[in-house]
Amino acid sequence: MTLLLVVGTAHAHEMTPTYPELKPSFVSGVYQTTMEMFNKRQDVEWYEIGVFDKDFNAIPFVSSFKILNLKYLGHVRFDLYIRAEDKDRATYVCSKSKLRKEDSTKTAVSSRICSKFK
Amino acid sequence: MFKKTMLIAAMGVASFGAYAENVPINGEVQSRCVISTDTPGVYGNPNAYTLTTAAADGGVQPIVRFDVTLADAYYAVITAPDSFSSSPSLPDVVTFTGDTEVSAVSDAANMGSYETNKVEYGMTDKYDLTATGSTWFTTSSVATMGGSKAFPGGSYTALVVAECIAQ
Repeated sequence: MTLLLVVGTAHAHEMTPTYPELKPSFVSGVYQTTMEMFNKRQDVEWYEIGVFDKDFNAIPFVSSFKILNLKYLGHVRFDLYIRAEDKDRATYVCSKSKLRKEDSTKTAVSSRICSKFK
Repeated sequence: MFKKTMLIAAMGVASFGAYAENVPINGEVQSRCVISTDTPGVYGNPNAYTLTTAAADGGVQPIVRFDVTLADAYYAVITAPDSFSSSPSLPDVVTFTGDTEVSAVSDAANMGSYETNKVEYGMTDKYDLTATGSTWFTTSSVATMGGSKAFPGGSYTALVVAECIAQ
C-alpha cells in the first residue's frame, strides 16, 4: 500500500528510444533520427535537448526545438538532424529538465536521460 | 406503412453501425529508463550556519526512482548539490557535502549489490543498472557557511542531478 502511494505521487521524465539509429535524411549529407518524450513531471514544463560525443562535448544539430515546452502528461515526437561529418562521433542524445526558480527552501531534482546512437 | 418501414430500416442501420464500430488502442513497448522524483528534498536549518536534509534536523532527503525495462543497458548517475542554484547574497564561502545511497529496490536478489558496486567520484555516484525494475536513491546534502557565519534569511534551492545514461 505504501509503495502504491509513493508511486502515485511520482513525477517522471522519459525519452525513447534508448538506442536511436541515424539514417540519411532527405537532405544530402545530413542524417536524422526521431525521438519521443513524455513528461510526467508536474514541476517541469521545459526540457533541453542536446547531442554529445562520448566525452559529453556538445555536437551541433538541428531540431524544431532545442528547448521544448512539454506540458504535464504531454507527449512529443521530434526529429534531429546531424551533419554526416559529425555522425561517427555523435554518441548521445540527451534531454534535461529545466527547472524554474522556486520560492521555497528545498533541493530540487534535475533529471537527464541520454539515449545512445547505434 | 412506408414511413414505418423506413424507420425500422434506419434503426437497423444505426444499431448495426454501433456494433460495427471499432476503437483501436495502439501501443508500443520499448526499452526505456524513466526517472521519477518521488520526494523533492527540503533543507532544515538546525543552526544559523548549517542547512541540511537530515530528518533529525528538520530536513527531508530527496528520493529519486529509476525504472528500467532492459538489463545492463543504463547507468544511473546521481550528483549531490555542490552549490545553490538560487539563494540570497551570501556573506562567505559555503561548503557542500553530500552522498547518495540506494534506499530500496524492487528485486533484492538481482539489485542487492548496487550500493556496494557503485563508483564514487566527488559528489557523484555512478550505478550500473544490471537488472530490470525500480531502484530508489536517496541523496543527503549539507551546506555549511564559512566562518560560522549565519545564512541570511531568504529562499535557498540546490539541485540534485539525476542522469540515466544508455550504455
